Amino acid sequence: MSLFLASLGFGLVTAAVLAIAAVGFTMQFAVTDVLNLAYGAVMIASAFVAYALNQAGVNVWIGLLAAAAAGAVGSVLLNQGIYTPFQRRIGDAARSRITLVIVSLGMTLIIEFGLQAIVGGTSVSYTMSQGPTVRAGGLVLTAVQFVIIGLAVVVMAAVHGLLRYTKLGKAMRATSANRSLARNCGIRTGRIVTVTWAVTGALCGIAGTVFAINNGSFGATSADLFLVVILAAVFLGGPGSAYGAMLGALIIGLATEISAAYITPSYKDVIAFAVLLIMLAVRPSGLLGTAVS
Amino acid sequence: MTTAQLYYLLNLLIYAGVDIIACLGLSQQFGVAGLTNFGFIIFQAAGAYTAAILSLPAASANGGFQSYIGGWNLPFPVPWIGAAIVGALIALPFTFLVGRRLRGDFAAVGLLVTAVMINLLVTNYRPFLNGSAGLSLVPAPLQGKYNPQGAGYQWAYAVAALLLAAGAFWLVQRVTESPYGRSLRAMRDNDIVADSLGKSLFAQRTSVLVLGGALAGLSGGVLVGYITTWSPGAWGYAETIVLFAAVIIGGAGNHRGAILGAILVPVGFEEATRYLPAFGPPGFVDDLQWVAIGLLVVIFLWFRPQGILPERRRIIGATNNIPNEDVVSLPGPLRASRGAMAASPDGPAARTSMQPAPFAGSPAAAARNDPVVLRTVDLTRDFGGVHAVAAVSIEVRRGTLTGLIGPNGAGKSTLLGMLAGTIPVTSGQVIYQGNDVTHVPAYRRARLGLVRTFQLASEFKRLTVMENLLSAVPGNRGDSLAGSLRGRRYWRRDEDAAIARARVLLERFGLSGYADTYGGDLSGGQRRLTEIMRALMTEPTMLLLDEPMAGVHPRLARQIGAQLLDLCAEGMTILMVEHELAIMDEFCDPVIMMAEGAVLATGTMTDLRARTEVVEAYLVG
Repeated sequence: MSLFLASLGFGLVTAAVLAIAAVGFTMQFAVTDVLNLAYGAVMIASAFVAYALNQAGVNVWIGLLAAAAAGAVGSVLLNQGIYTPFQRRIGDAARSRITLVIVSLGMTLIIEFGLQAIVGGTSVSYTMSQGPTVRAGGLVLTAVQFVIIGLAVVVMAAVHGLLRYTKLGKAMRATSANRSLARNCGIRTGRIVTVTWAVTGALCGIAGTVFAINNGSFGATSADLFLVVILAAVFLGGPGSAYGAMLGALIIGLATEISAAYITPSYKDVIAFAVLLIMLAVRPSGLLGTAVS
Repeated sequence: MTTAQLYYLLNLLIYAGVDIIACLGLSQQFGVAGLTNFGFIIFQAAGAYTAAILSLPAASANGGFQSYIGGWNLPFPVPWIGAAIVGALIALPFTFLVGRRLRGDFAAVGLLVTAVMINLLVTNYRPFLNGSAGLSLVPAPLQGKYNPQGAGYQWAYAVAALLLAAGAFWLVQRVTESPYGRSLRAMRDNDIVADSLGKSLFAQRTSVLVLGGALAGLSGGVLVGYITTWSPGAWGYAETIVLFAAVIIGGAGNHRGAILGAILVPVGFEEATRYLPAFGPPGFVDDLQWVAIGLLVVIFLWFRPQGILPERRRIIGATNNIPNEDVVSLPGPLRASRGAMAASPDGPAARTSMQPAPFAGSPAAAARNDPVVLRTVDLTRDFGGVHAVAAVSIEVRRGTLTGLIGPNGAGKSTLLGMLAGTIPVTSGQVIYQGNDVTHVPAYRRARLGLVRTFQLASEFKRLTVMENLLSAVPGNRGDSLAGSLRGRRYWRRDEDAAIARARVLLERFGLSGYADTYGGDLSGGQRRLTEIMRALMTEPTMLLLDEPMAGVHPRLARQIGAQLLDLCAEGMTILMVEHELAIMDEFCDPVIMMAEGAVLATGTMTDLRARTEVVEAYLVG
């Protein structure tokens, strides 16, 4: 029983990290129609921004804010400099998707290995305290792990508020549903797309830093496998659905950690992989998604 | 030349052979068939591992310092053959990802993720293939008889690798330059339209996965025999991007480009720079190489997406050696098509049982002389909560040009899509020639003679007009992987007959001068004409036209209308969605009127005009 509770606790922490990352990824995809495979690379690059500050003596939680800003700026630049120009030039939707997925993979190499050339190939860790061990409802976690879960809850609530109750959120949903119709209704879709890259980029930066905190140590290519897990959560819930990504993150986070406890940790990500392939094969629109053409 | 230089040169030649084989496999998948296989490297890895465990002795033989399955100690060339076979076979599980109608970028992500995970599994599970350390001391081919370190052996290895590369080129070229290759390119340009013309996307994608997988596997086998070691580090997901870079830079869709790309990128960029002096901290040069690969991909896709050697235009229309002069002198396009078939007695119609018996009066059609060609029973389609089409029951009689009108959102295109099988049915039935085809997939319906066109122009952009037409011909002997491999002599007669028919149609619709123009370079009206001609090339029993005259000059629209009436007079049945009432008045009888997902009325245009609710629906709706 205690093994189960321990893995449940780890599962919740993983789900929290995953939820922040997956919601950002799925919103990015919904509004911009880019399946941005460089998302993991931007995550880890942002985590290194926090690391640079941390090395200079800044508290890692302040570094987290800097990482969010870096993720936002980086993602907007990535879109303005690379993705949007490609989308404009190609026009035809199906061809542009294929080209963009190749381009985003190329950008992954550029960002990750560019970063590795600067920071070197060895893993690093933040200088920080894990805080006292906290027991709550049978779960035993460190204070930092509780903070991560709390942070995820706050971020999810903020995303919910943004999409449901703000004009910006409505405009984002409208742009996601039908960009040309939204533009004809007076929504400045170009600006909405840019703002979306900034918002989701900030989520990406936060996710990268909490991923690095939770992992203990990290290097320039650490997010490669985590991107698989993110994709699994996104496709389980339904690509483009923010609530789907939250649900997917919870299921995948719990499933990977609990299976790690009972089977073996080296294969925990295989569950995510299996879920992803099954969803692609059986129901690419996901649990909560509508049909994606 | 010193010995060291000679060995270095031979090393480069062997790598060139290996990379050319792999790039040709990817070129066939990505460049020709449009399949973005981000998991390509696992096929090469499978081939390398297979060759290794086929040629290695049992795991205990070397003191058991590495553990692996197999270890059969089999002689050359069994390991290489096994590598190709396993590369082909492991393609099969992936067909469920790419074979179905999954968005191309989703399928690409699925394959990428698979590559990452399989690498993880092989790395972590040591008993299978010795885990992260990988396999080493793999015997070189024939190493008992010859010394693998000898210059003669190295020369022979290089020649063998290059000969295999030449063989691979011959193979992919034979497939690509056949009617089957044209079908693959059609699928690349627009898979939904290819499906509606009777191409089985599943079969086509499976065959290129298997073909490319076999080549990738072979390349792995040749590579491991030379370097005698193979481990998960050699086939990270990023290695696939190197091969993609090669194909994109060389020229996707042109196999010569793939060869050039293989020489420039994996060989020229990675191997040739391996012995340059390193600088910076350890791993720095490797990192910069990866950055450069990424930059090359992005920069080429931006500045020269067609690559250094772009896909060549296939000129067919300009030459004028029509094989059978009688064909041209026959009056209508359909008579002409039958004439062309008569010219080749064992032509398509005579051979396939799938082939529709196109026209009433022909012996096969007499058995199905039901005056009603197509009817629906309570056909319904819901999108979310919206009843786009609600319980529609219609009949279309043989030899009529039936019109389908209604305001925007009436459900006309949805109905047409359900009839053709491109939109799934929520409930109800589609009965075609007396058979329930409700759950028959679109490509099979097309083969049964029920063929649609699309509201949005749907020409294959990187096929010429002539190729667009030829791509639709059913039953061409060269339009299968096996047929294409048997070579031009095997399918030449079918091809010539099809070209003759296409020329007649082009003449008829006034587009002879555009035969060699790319579909993507046509004007709007020319695209509509190309699409109608392409549908006619399938020898349909029944044609479903979705606004064929939209955006067409009124004079041309009337010509099209007259042509369609001619076709109906010869026994074809046409159901046509159209907004232009003047066209309906002149050509269509009867006319079915839809509004808000239901049939409002059926009759001649004169009848319909007399009924007030019809007029209201059009004016209000």
